[in-house]
Amino acid sequence: MMANEPEYIGKINSEIRAMLKIVEGLGVVVQDALERKRKGTKGAAYAASVNIQHMEEEVTALCVGSLIRYQPFASDLRAITVALKVSYDMSRICRYLYNITEVLEEFDLDGCNVAGASELLKDALSMVSTSLTAYFDKNRSLASEIIERDHSIDERYRMILSAQRRSQSTSGDCILLNGLTARIIERLADHACYISSETTYLVTGRRVGYR
Amino acid sequence: MSNCTHEKLDISGLDAWFGDKQALKGVSLKIKPKTVTAIIGPSGCGKSTFIRCINRMHELTPGNRVSGVLLLDGVDIYKGMDSMDVRRKVGMVFQKPNPFPNMSVMDNVVAGLKLIGAAGKKELEAVAEANLKAVGLWKEVEGDLKKSGASLSGGQQQRLCIARALAMRPEIMLMDEPTSALDPASTAKIEDLVKTLKAETTVIIITHNVQQAARISDMTAFFYLGELIEYGETRTIFESPKSPLTERYITGRFG
Repeated sequence: MMANEPEYIGKINSEIRAMLKIVEGLGVVVQDALERKRKGTKGAAYAASVNIQHMEEEVTALCVGSLIRYQPFASDLRAITVALKVSYDMSRICRYLYNITEVLEEFDLDGCNVAGASELLKDALSMVSTSLTAYFDKNRSLASEIIERDHSIDERYRMILSAQRRSQSTSGDCILLNGLTARIIERLADHACYISSETTYLVTGRRVGYR
Repeated sequence: MSNCTHEKLDISGLDAWFGDKQALKGVSLKIKPKTVTAIIGPSGCGKSTFIRCINRMHELTPGNRVSGVLLLDGVDIYKGMDSMDVRRKVGMVFQKPNPFPNMSVMDNVVAGLKLIGAAGKKELEAVAEANLKAVGLWKEVEGDLKKSGASLSGGQQQRLCIARALAMRPEIMLMDEPTSALDPASTAKIEDLVKTLKAETTVIIITHNVQQAARISDMTAFFYLGELIEYGETRTIFESPKSPLTERYITGRFG
């Protein structure tokens, strides 16, 4: 039974919603840059990443302040410990998006097929958005679905790697671009799963051991 | 121990009445030796009645009744023990410090022992010193042992009362909101003391302060309307309670 949520948890979650907005916005930019093999997004991605880090610090301050002021227990205590981890995960996800723009900046993109990595990013970003929906709605089954989807991401990550390994005609830049990007996306999706794992703990009080 | 039991207290089906009014309804729980158990719950839920059954104080008021089985080291305290023996084994500290006002600090500590004629003067002095040291009061009152117990501060008086209870070497110490009338510093001293007491004694403490219960206890029992709703390890109760009622109480939604 979840009774009315205290105001301080609402404040913390509104900060996390603002983080999600930035991550989703940056996700659209990075997705487009990868699909179109477009350079020049690194600066904006870095600014977003720094912004998110500040917001994570703000969430930490709100959480610590609430712990001191209200000394919460049970679902309220779990809400705070989970918010601390979710805000960290959001910060990491944003950093990974920035890392993709760094990779795009680094290599020659001409003639490189990035369709696999691009699809992988699309799915990983969808996992991030859904994991946050599950978190805000305290939807345990949706959170479980996200964790299940991670197997597909891992499998496709390995497929991209083996395709690059087998390729005869692909340039070194293209192999590195695909390999590095796929690896970053695979880690990014892991953080969506961490958020889902925290959501499960938030709702049930039991850890599912995914982190 | 008379039986092969790992429980200090084994309570089953405990009912208690004030006349016609039932205050406890079928309470069953087991308490391990040398642990601190916190009893929490809203006012009127039966917390005080519960601990007063453990030292047979509930029956002192005419019309009050108790039924069920309450085993102390395997012996039924209502059938196999004299009430005075029970109270010697089960000490109690109350919400408001209640030192004997006409007695000195030292006499307060050894009042119980004197009453049963258990020791000589030298021995009583040694017992007083040891127990005042145990409650961290010795250094504060060393030079004032002849002063009235009532001349001490509230926090000192409460520790004096704990020393008085400890002097009887109880196996179980019952504490009924022992810090509710104390300032934060005195409260912290009593809480530290409770944690050290469990090296020798089984402590059962009633508190309205759920944060205090979380700080000092190993086990927590939540009572509501005379029933034991949930009992378990303190960390589990305060992080992931099973009962929605417990959840609502410890998050401050009611009570």
